[in-house]
Amino acid sequence: MPPRKERVREELTMRAAAEERRWAKTYPWLGEDPVPTESCISQEVYEREVEKVFKKVWLHVGRVEELPEAGSYKLKRLDFASTSVLLIRGKDGVIRAFHNTCSHRGNTVVTPAGEWDNFGRKAAFSCRFHAWTYNDRGELIGAQEETGMPPCFKKAENGLTPINCELWEGFIFVNLAPRPAQGLREYLGEMGAHFSGFPYAEITHSFTYYTYLNCNWKVGLDAFSEAYHVNTIHAGSFPGTFSTGLQMIKLLGDHRTTAVCFNPPKEAPPVAALAQTKARGSLVNNVQQTILPPTLNDEKRDDYAFELSVFFPNWLLHVSEGIWFTHQFWPLSRDRCLWEGKYYVKPPTTHSEKWALEHAVVLQRNAWLEDTATMEDTFFSLLSGSKKFMNLHDEEILVRHGYHVLENYLSAD
Amino acid sequence: MARLLPAGFEELEPWVSEWALPTQNRRWDKRLASTKEELTAFYAAVLPHLERILERADEHPLGQLPEPVARLFDLALMHAEIAPNAELYDGDPNVPYSFEERRFIAVHGHDEH
Repeated sequence: MPPRKERVREELTMRAAAEERRWAKTYPWLGEDPVPTESCISQEVYEREVEKVFKKVWLHVGRVEELPEAGSYKLKRLDFASTSVLLIRGKDGVIRAFHNTCSHRGNTVVTPAGEWDNFGRKAAFSCRFHAWTYNDRGELIGAQEETGMPPCFKKAENGLTPINCELWEGFIFVNLAPRPAQGLREYLGEMGAHFSGFPYAEITHSFTYYTYLNCNWKVGLDAFSEAYHVNTIHAGSFPGTFSTGLQMIKLLGDHRTTAVCFNPPKEAPPVAALAQTKARGSLVNNVQQTILPPTLNDEKRDDYAFELSVFFPNWLLHVSEGIWFTHQFWPLSRDRCLWEGKYYVKPPTTHSEKWALEHAVVLQRNAWLEDTATMEDTFFSLLSGSKKFMNLHDEEILVRHGYHVLENYLSAD
Repeated sequence: MARLLPAGFEELEPWVSEWALPTQNRRWDKRLASTKEELTAFYAAVLPHLERILERADEHPLGQLPEPVARLFDLALMHAEIAPNAELYDGDPNVPYSFEERRFIAVHGHDEH
């Protein structure tokens, strides 16, 4: 048998000949033109994105497990809309969303600690400015020296301002539009059906990383929306994984999903090999049995590694055997965004499992450090204006679809 | 004198004071502050004991380790932190061709063990 490298090269050449521009042929309506870079650097485009996309569509902002009890809350800052969403689980178990803005003089009701998400639990939510107090349903229940308020003031009309909030598979979504054009289920459409039935609620042991990136949010999002970079960017952390490319791509309305397939390396170094025997924590483990719903890997490929998907506009959900992980890019301005990466595995039951999961997460974090390495450089370099277009490869069809959908929103009345 | 580590692991005691660290953030900082020589020496010293360390830790329910075993387990976690560097990055204490590591914030980074 020829050496592995040669076999890989041979197989790639054969595949290329058989499947040249296979995705362009599958989705001819997307075209193959270069994509203007203007979209990533223009202030005007950014402002239209905020008004026509981020303030109009359903945005993923949390998980139900983050609000375990009555009175549990999460505060999520949304800089693009100059607001913070206050999610509260009520005594009735329902999760509601509000602007974190007091009805009195507009101070924050939950005083934020730092710029990132705040979590906690309260019996009532009291503004520290003048102690106006709201219950778990956002209703105003008391104010200091209430009798001093004018007769026209109605307590019942001065609760916290609600934000539309709906759940799907335990994921919390909000929509900042006063009257959203669609409900969440309709907005997710076939994408929701495709990802339903995965045991998200059982795989809850989570590791969260975040950072603020000096780049447009789409430069970040796009870097995670293809697997064309794996052989170069991840030569360090995932060497020898022979990528068999994207498979089973589905463009589902505004959203998009694909299977990422690769064969894990046959021989792992000692610690990686030991970790693989202790827990299913890493994407480069071999898998024995499936927990995936039948919509995923419907072709039953042996080299299926994980599903990579983009929920429009800014959230990536990935699922694999016993693992799921997400990326989200929050626009802060034209040239700055917040990245959040979250990795979920089954809660460990023994110390050796815990150790193996630590190894898996460290390796995944390192891969994300590799992924984020290019983002600021790419954006800085795009600002030069020297390249008016980016030339997309067939394997980057999810990136192409992203710009196609975005343009539909930006050009709508 | 009370032992730092459980019986049978005396050989690893010299590593405890600097490398037995209870949180991911502290282990991450330790890696970044290490030289290639320190990192590869620690990797080589712990590797032959790794399976035995995990077996020893598994004698206790999760999260209920007596102090000496907790220190031993922390050495294993530290080893997991630096293993990719030793095995994949040629001993480089940093992740090569990566984003500035200290700008990543780990929300779970202060959790013990």
